[in-house]
Amino acid sequence: MANDELLMMSGIVKEFPGVRALDGVDLEVRRGEVHCLLGQNGAGKSTLIRVLTGAHQPDAGQIVVNGNEERLNSPTDAINLGIAAIYQELDLVPELSVAENVFLGHEPSRFGLTRRHETATRARELLKGLGHGEIPPGRPVGMLSAAGQQIVSMARALSRDAELIVMDEPSAVLDPEEVGNLFRVIRGLTERGVAVVYISHRLEEIREIGDRVTVLKDGATVATGLDARQTPTAELIRLMTGRSIEYVFPKRQDLPAAAETVLEVANLSRPREFADISFTVRAGEIVGLAGLVGSGRSEILETVYGARRAASGFVKVKGVELKPGRVQAAVKAGVGLAPEERKSQALILDEAVYKNITVSTMTRFARGGFLNGHAERVAAAELTRALDVRPAGIDHPVRNLSGGNQQKVVLARWLLRDCRVLLLDEPTRGVDVGARSEIYALIRKLAANGVAIVLVSSEVEEVLGLADRVVVMREGRAVHIGPAQEIDEHRVLDLVMEGSAVS
Amino acid sequence: MSARSARFLKTATLAGLTSLALIACTSNTPEAKKTDGNATQAAAGSGSNDAPGQKVKIGFSAPAADHGWMGAITKATQAEAKKYSDIELIVAEGTNDVNLQISQVETFINQKVDAIVLLPFDGAALTPVAIKAMEAGITVVNVDREFDSTFAARTTILGDNKGMGISAGTYVCQEMKGKKDAVIAEIAGIDSLPLTQARSQGFKEALADCGLKVNNRVAAEFTVESGEKAAANLLQAAPKIDAIWNHDDDQGVGVMAAIKNSGRKEFFVVGGAGSANVMRDIKAGNTLLKATVIYPSTQGADGVRLARLLVQKKALGDLVEVEVPRLVQLYAPVVTKDNVDQYLPTAFES
Amino acid sequence: MGRNLGLVVALVLLCLVGIITAGDTFATGANVLTILRLAAVIGVVSIGMTFVITGGGIDLSVGAMVALASVWATTLATQQMAADFHWIFMVSTALLVGSACGLVNGLLVAYGKIVPFIATLAMLAGARGLAEIISDRRTQIISVNPFVDFFGGSLIGVPVLVWLFLIVAALGWVVLNRTTFGRRTFAVGGNAEAARLAGIKVQRHTVALYVLAGLCCGIAAVMLMARTTTGSSTHGQLYELDAIAAVVIGGTLLSGGRGTIVGTVFGVLIFTTLNNVFTLNNLSISAQSVAKGLIIVIAVLLQQRLAARGSTP
Repeated sequence: MANDELLMMSGIVKEFPGVRALDGVDLEVRRGEVHCLLGQNGAGKSTLIRVLTGAHQPDAGQIVVNGNEERLNSPTDAINLGIAAIYQELDLVPELSVAENVFLGHEPSRFGLTRRHETATRARELLKGLGHGEIPPGRPVGMLSAAGQQIVSMARALSRDAELIVMDEPSAVLDPEEVGNLFRVIRGLTERGVAVVYISHRLEEIREIGDRVTVLKDGATVATGLDARQTPTAELIRLMTGRSIEYVFPKRQDLPAAAETVLEVANLSRPREFADISFTVRAGEIVGLAGLVGSGRSEILETVYGARRAASGFVKVKGVELKPGRVQAAVKAGVGLAPEERKSQALILDEAVYKNITVSTMTRFARGGFLNGHAERVAAAELTRALDVRPAGIDHPVRNLSGGNQQKVVLARWLLRDCRVLLLDEPTRGVDVGARSEIYALIRKLAANGVAIVLVSSEVEEVLGLADRVVVMREGRAVHIGPAQEIDEHRVLDLVMEGSAVS
Repeated sequence: MSARSARFLKTATLAGLTSLALIACTSNTPEAKKTDGNATQAAAGSGSNDAPGQKVKIGFSAPAADHGWMGAITKATQAEAKKYSDIELIVAEGTNDVNLQISQVETFINQKVDAIVLLPFDGAALTPVAIKAMEAGITVVNVDREFDSTFAARTTILGDNKGMGISAGTYVCQEMKGKKDAVIAEIAGIDSLPLTQARSQGFKEALADCGLKVNNRVAAEFTVESGEKAAANLLQAAPKIDAIWNHDDDQGVGVMAAIKNSGRKEFFVVGGAGSANVMRDIKAGNTLLKATVIYPSTQGADGVRLARLLVQKKALGDLVEVEVPRLVQLYAPVVTKDNVDQYLPTAFES
Repeated sequence: MGRNLGLVVALVLLCLVGIITAGDTFATGANVLTILRLAAVIGVVSIGMTFVITGGGIDLSVGAMVALASVWATTLATQQMAADFHWIFMVSTALLVGSACGLVNGLLVAYGKIVPFIATLAMLAGARGLAEIISDRRTQIISVNPFVDFFGGSLIGVPVLVWLFLIVAALGWVVLNRTTFGRRTFAVGGNAEAARLAGIKVQRHTVALYVLAGLCCGIAAVMLMARTTTGSSTHGQLYELDAIAAVVIGGTLLSGGRGTIVGTVFGVLIFTTLNNVFTLNNLSISAQSVAKGLIIVIAVLLQQRLAARGSTP
């Protein structure tokens, strides 16, 4: 079985100034397998992938592909060896057509002229091979869904005769149904002998699609070759975190009967996004919005926050109606938003942690416009300690933090402001399993302190596990509102899918 | 403003009094120049002025060479300085930023040069720093664009804008030979500039002398592109023309292109400034260009020579007067096929 | 100020070249003042530009605004007012005109949603055109002597122009690094959407940045008026490029979010010193432009290296 081995990486070390990102990683991938890479954010998965795809050059270690030791000096070297990657942020050109994207960089051409017809034909063949012959090769990629774009990325990898495809959290942007579709495609690939390195935070996915698992922690391999189906969850979590976590969701607390209604949303509508949404949130209560991607959940949050202007309906905080379409009005009334796209909507990535925390409370640390840097830093340091933001220290650029820690920074921002209403959009997206429970505990603690919280998540169990009450959304309408304990995952999924034409 | 125009009037009168055809007067032509053909009319006399004397350090600054004529100014200046073993010429970067040009002059002052030859981007803006240089004991020679204070320069060298118009108009009158209904067109440069207004005024006066007038007048902006545009418009407006005077040979490239495109041949064209291109065309005689009037691009070169004389305390060769004059205004001769050989060597390449 | 090390080295090297090649002139007090006086006008413009670029914008109209402010402040009417009352009329006219142009820029960018490049390009054309109309393309000569005497003079041996530059730079540094305004500038430039969702009034702030740039142009116009004793529609030619070059080699990110006043000051000084050294050594006119281009490329390359080393990807 020795020639089953496609890739051997051993003792890989990669240092950046001040950080040893990889400190002796071993990875072994066989032909035709789905090899899962597990690890918390910051464990070194992304760096490892960059080394594997030639974007970074390791400081030490060995890479053997097909039995030959190789040096990957550039992405081109990796591509030539049949290694391709599909990143979270898809690296497609939205304005170009599907076919042009598939063959970007190696267009079929003669005398420098691209051969459009051949490009289209070959792209169609590749897409058909992936079970998606319905995607028109001539359509601009920007018009495809996230799932469709992933397929195009895979077709591109195959057009380069990739033998090894790295997929970095491909399911993060997909609906459950689309995930099933993706798995069919992956199985088709492995049957052809292509190896897949699969990265995901969702253990259930790993169980379904994976063959073997390698676990990374702090830049080193802590376990390799684990059976993806048999290894107990508790064991995987222990390996990833170094501790064992039994349960994930914090206990609910009974609301005091006197808890006042803090947030009132009434008949909120925006054409083509959502219609006639009404719900209330009391102090200390967590209300969860469940529904598919595109059911209008995030849009509702942004409208409540004033980032979008409602066509009709109103939002009241403590009985006072907010001026529609004005973020400042919401912020002033004590509303905070942790948006879905943390990196592009919440954080100033190159700025220091403490500046990101104080960005909404700056005036509090200023007199006559002049900032009191010391007070500011003390307040931020206190919060980062309380929330256990790692690495400790408030002067790193936020960019260097993992997803979970970035989320903590966003929460710290609103904590500092003493928010009365906190709108959380996918608070655990891109946050690894170990850190998730910390975020959950934090959210519950905020509620216990009297904050009214609205939670949006694509993961039904997260909504059910964390929220006190649930609003189930389908195609822009609330189809059910009720206590979270009185409904289960199946019922929610039923409600969500009911009547939808997709099947 | 009124003070200024009064001052302008004063200098203008002064200009009239001391106007000199410098070309005819330079006795101090160095050996090098004599041998490269009939560069100047004749090197009359052989004054001792060219004999190497006390070392002279001269700073030179001019606007950016964004026009063929302006480029030629610096080139001619450098070439002239090379002919004298006793001149050390320091050339600053050509610039249209008065702030930078002022700084260049300040640097010259710090370097303790003996003289500064300055073609200011804007005469008024450079006046304060020129005065500063004079006060520091440096001989300032002002070229082409006048300062607005007489204390800012020891000597000023000017072209003759009105004279250009007069020369062009007189030539057109000659060629029309009394044809009373002749249609005369004029393509001016940037219209709001005083120099353009002076050129047009001279042209008008000269034409009036033989009973003609400007029937069609358009203005361009001294660039090839604007010349083409203006000429195309003119040709549209006037179905029949007898003569065109174009103020500037750089924009003239565009003017000739427009004429060529129109296929019209019923008129002749007189140029302005005197580029080598135009002179070659005049010499070849196969285009509509019959003549051009010179606006000397050797003003900077003259400035360097006068600065040298001033520092070395020498007089201008053929003048009885022992001092170099305060103002030298250059002549604007008409160049035709008959005398083109005489001017071609000093013409500028656009 | 470790990140400015490269700039310090570059400036020191340039000075060394100056001392070696033209020591007797270069290393004199008079020459240093010459360099500083040249740096002052473009320096003030560059400080304003630093704010706009840090805030994620760009201002191509600075040179035109300098021209318009100088022309407007030197019209006969303004000069008459200044002569009758005080030169402060001329100064405030220039500052007002600059700020007003900046306001228009800011409104077009923030509320008109026109990309800064285009909005300020329009202002570049418009302001210079207006300056030409007002002045009829003639240079306006300043006859208010107290104005010229004050701004053209010296305080404690240092020209007033240089003092102005120092004051504007110091204020700029404080505002950018020590105030909420500065912090918001970094936030808006670093991630406008995140800043908006954090409750910052992004549009209003953007307007303020352009007004600030316009105000700096007004100050620069006053300085140039004193230096040349004129106002002219041709003043400030290509200042936008000089300012952007100085800001960028100083280390301010052209895409916004990172900016440094100290770097900008060094950037300005490097270019003006370069100019001085070239003029002193009588080097070819075109070589100087080549050297400028090289410096820009080398400085930016160096910065990218440093930036890459400073942050883990």
